[in-house]
Amino acid sequence: MVDSADPKRTKQSASRRDFLKAGLLGGAAVAASAGAARAAGDPLITEIQDWNRYLGEGVDVAPYGKPSEFEANVVRRNVPWLTSDPVSSINFTPLHELDGIITPNGLCFERHHGGTAVIDPADHRLMINGLVDTPLVFTMEDLKRFPRENRVYFLECAANGGMEWKGSQLNGCQFTHGMIHCVVYTGVPLRYLLEEAGVKTNGKWLLAEGADAAAMTRSIPMEKALDDCLVAFKMNGEALRAEQGYPLRLCVPGWEGNMWVKWLRRLEVGDEPWAQREETSKYTDLLPDGKARRHTWVMDVKSVITSPSPQAPVTHGKGPLVISGLAWSGSGTIKRVDVTIDGGRTWQQARIDGPSLPKALHRFYLDINWDGSEMLLQSRAIDDQGLVQPTKNELRAARGGNSIYHNNGIQTWHVNNDGVVENVEVS
Amino acid sequence: MLKFPKSAAVAVLALAAFASPSLAGDADAGKKVFNKCKACHAVGDGASHKVGPELNELFGRSAGGAEGYKYSKAMIEAGEGGLIWDEAGLTTFLAKPKAMIKGTKMAFAGLKKDDDIANVVAYLKTFSQDVAAAPAAEAAGETPVETAAASSAPEAAPAAESAPAAEMVVEKSQGAFGLGRKAMPDEIAAWDIDVRPDGLGLPVGKGTVAEGEPIFADNCAVCHGDFGEGAGRWPVLAGGQGTLLKDRPVKTIGSYWPYLSTVFDYVRRAMPFGNARSLSDDDVYALTAYLLYLNDLVDDEEFELSNENFATIKMPNEENFVPDDRASEPHYAKGIEPCMTECKPAPVEITARAQVIDVTPEGEGDENAGGID
Repeated sequence: MVDSADPKRTKQSASRRDFLKAGLLGGAAVAASAGAARAAGDPLITEIQDWNRYLGEGVDVAPYGKPSEFEANVVRRNVPWLTSDPVSSINFTPLHELDGIITPNGLCFERHHGGTAVIDPADHRLMINGLVDTPLVFTMEDLKRFPRENRVYFLECAANGGMEWKGSQLNGCQFTHGMIHCVVYTGVPLRYLLEEAGVKTNGKWLLAEGADAAAMTRSIPMEKALDDCLVAFKMNGEALRAEQGYPLRLCVPGWEGNMWVKWLRRLEVGDEPWAQREETSKYTDLLPDGKARRHTWVMDVKSVITSPSPQAPVTHGKGPLVISGLAWSGSGTIKRVDVTIDGGRTWQQARIDGPSLPKALHRFYLDINWDGSEMLLQSRAIDDQGLVQPTKNELRAARGGNSIYHNNGIQTWHVNNDGVVENVEVS
Repeated sequence: MLKFPKSAAVAVLALAAFASPSLAGDADAGKKVFNKCKACHAVGDGASHKVGPELNELFGRSAGGAEGYKYSKAMIEAGEGGLIWDEAGLTTFLAKPKAMIKGTKMAFAGLKKDDDIANVVAYLKTFSQDVAAAPAAEAAGETPVETAAASSAPEAAPAAESAPAAEMVVEKSQGAFGLGRKAMPDEIAAWDIDVRPDGLGLPVGKGTVAEGEPIFADNCAVCHGDFGEGAGRWPVLAGGQGTLLKDRPVKTIGSYWPYLSTVFDYVRRAMPFGNARSLSDDDVYALTAYLLYLNDLVDDEEFELSNENFATIKMPNEENFVPDDRASEPHYAKGIEPCMTECKPAPVEITARAQVIDVTPEGEGDENAGGID
């Protein structure tokens, strides 16, 4: 380090070393700084920093802004062994790095069945056909002339946590719980479009179809379609990201993500469900007696502590510690979140902070004074229907180990004396 | 069904399809064409073999010559016979792979447009350092690579390929907003290809098990295996009967899928993977018949599946699908008041640890854990 030929670097290193030797900073490493040695204080304060002296970049350097370069590790990640090929695969939202309830667009997990379709909005069409008075075709321009709404919703893949049915497997809440995001959607209530076409009285089901290479399809009961579904073209104020279905996607609030058809190009009204690939061979839940549940649409009440978690260990030692996490329910709002630090022997109520919106993520905190001893952290959500998040063992008792989907069991993180966190299960 | 023109609510929309300017050999355009290839082939930094071999340094490579890739016998023989990949060879091959190398494993039927071929060849060339960097004179007697793209390659995509400007009579929506226009029968027919378990939506057509076998071998076996056993992590299509109660159930068409219509519908809309909608309806009937055969649900190779007999075929696992009854599970019983203190005996023991398995995020995981495909 000190053997650098660059005198400035040498000086920096010496300065930092002396400072650390002075014992003012404990184990925390700070960024190197230029300036005099043996400062009586933090050189980041006592010495003038480059950014405090030299001009930064002007406006327009990045016409579309990016996160700070120091946030380069905050990215979606995938688990390569999970699927055959990235074009039909999934990656995960870095929940451990986020706060609040809104997911930034570029970090919303991706799930494609035939890659990302790239569609010029001028070339996109939405068709409504089947049991309607008048089959219709809309352009994007047409759709933007209907009255629109703004709604905050979570979107969770039914397979979120699917790798954990047989025991703790993936070490990080990005991987155990990251098939979820929550954004504010702008779009047209689906019922306006259906009413424009005129649904016939025997029209009880809707088939939504995507324009991608998988031509993704799902059957949706008409009652839900006329209730709170949206045909959305914006997320968090900007156009949908390509990987989220640009230029148009369906929002099916509170229901499994697979139904939120991206690159939405067609809505067919029928009198029965279509039994498509994604609602028969997939997204059905195998039980221990060989039966399989189908049409398991609603996402159950669920929560997870996002920090501390395996990818977000405690680095500051004992003392004040913010335990933070997310809770959600496809049935409505979250009424309460309980947190335990002793593996579920005693629980205390966490503090929900920020908006509490139906079918949206809720942020909770428990602010504790950590004594430095081992912890077994869990969170337990209760929704406005009175449904309580079950334990993993309760789920296994009811469903066995082969259900894959809808794992909303309580997650346990073990925090050791050094603040290192591991995904575990407890007695 | 439609009465054109309908007095007040009629507009005329000119649908002029303009051919994009024909710039044969445009590597940037080729990158987009390569989307059709990348389900099976990787190219660029860190590319490795997938279903097909990686394509870095392809130019000048002997056919069947990528180390570590298991080629068809036909491809290896072509290489031994002296075939070395260059622009001309790739152009011929990509138009119709099986016509040039009979027996190649490459399931892709071929690129239909000369433009697409020239562009994707130009794109691949950018990953072959020797060729991409070669000065004009050395480029196999051809025009320099850098400029070949713009100037010398034959002018593909003749004007005939661009559709003539069509006039479309448009009837407006009669709804409350008057937005959108009436969909035309041909448009609905083009997109509405879904098939229901009761057979609604089936096109007229037929195909036998015996006809399905070569179609499967050519288009499907590369990912799903010759007998539907699955290659790598690609879906297993056959077998698995009697495994649903086991620790590792094998969910196939025969062991799990409730309806045959799902097979027909999905194959017709999304298969072969990366070349959707390329099979004829008769091909799809034949493939569906062959999949019944692979699953021992029919045993006669001359069995013919058609729109006539389709809905009579029942799948063995249909009755095992039940409605969502999660609400009846004991943990969701009404009025449960969660315990807050002394909820379990001390000490709480750790019963499972992720670090023991250590599959985060790379490495070999539990094959059965995800089931995401």
